[in-house]
Amino acid sequence: MPFFQWLENTRWARWADDSVQVATVCEIIHYFSMFVMVGSIVIVNLRLMGLLARNRPMKEVTAQFFPLMWIGIALNFFSGFVMFAGDATTFAPNWVFHIKVSVVLLALISAIVVQMQARKWVQQETAEAPLWGKALATISLLLWIGSILAAVEVPSLTNVG
Amino acid sequence: MLVPSEGVVNFCNWLQNTPYALAIAGSTWAYPFVQTTHFTGLSIWIGTNLAVDFRLLGWFGKHRNASEFTQSLFAWNWIGFAIAVMGGASLFSTDAVAFSRNPALQLKLLLFFPVALIIHIFVQQKTIKSWGASEMVAPMGKIAGLVEFLLWLSVASAAANIPYYEKFL
Repeated sequence: MPFFQWLENTRWARWADDSVQVATVCEIIHYFSMFVMVGSIVIVNLRLMGLLARNRPMKEVTAQFFPLMWIGIALNFFSGFVMFAGDATTFAPNWVFHIKVSVVLLALISAIVVQMQARKWVQQETAEAPLWGKALATISLLLWIGSILAAVEVPSLTNVG
Repeated sequence: MLVPSEGVVNFCNWLQNTPYALAIAGSTWAYPFVQTTHFTGLSIWIGTNLAVDFRLLGWFGKHRNASEFTQSLFAWNWIGFAIAVMGGASLFSTDAVAFSRNPALQLKLLLFFPVALIIHIFVQQKTIKSWGASEMVAPMGKIAGLVEFLLWLSVASAAANIPYYEKFL
């Protein structure tokens, strides 16, 4: 807890938490980057699963959406961390928040694995993901949807956030 | 804040007492599931919208013709919209009277969302038919992409403020 107390009382965390404008901007960035991040991941995974844009080479879809996904992830983590810092001692012991962070980390790992594997699958222009690749994309998709569910549960079940 | 008319309040009152709305509001899990559905739909909808806007602005996917790019995302764009609207309507139904008085929701649903939607349909059609036909996007297309991006940002800003107003109503 001393670390979270220190974090919560840093000058920038207090400034971000006490200012309605900064808190609102952080929340807007958090929401918007989540849409960009999950939207890109959903499109890539649906393409890998063979459910979207089948007439377009997988190479093209992944090349277009992976950068957008990482921009979304970076903005989402940055804004999320600023929001967390302002209330660190409240969030840190919250069990639903622990679930949220765990699911987000699993989803992130799945995104990294999908991206690494997709590099191999797209070697040929017309290449498609193998069956286990489609299963991996499905798991990744479910994990990202699960992370949204866990995120909405934090304020709903614990009145925090 | 707009004060809803008696007819609107009566309708909202009926809506929030329908078995469907009561089932969502009264269940521990149904409400977050509906919220998740709304956010997943929004992610697909806004994600595909932004991809097209960024393509028009030349920030993204420059090696591909904007018209083809928009067409390839068209179906999923509207599937995302349908999911988001269904989820949003279900969330609204659980506490319709209070939501109808929420200034942030009023701003979102009565101003930003309709304008953004009209601009989106216009931009999508123009991109498919003319602006995105060649490698270089026309200046008008770039301006339209930027306007649409700012409008969706306004919709998200209004949406992010809905919970703040809920506490004060």
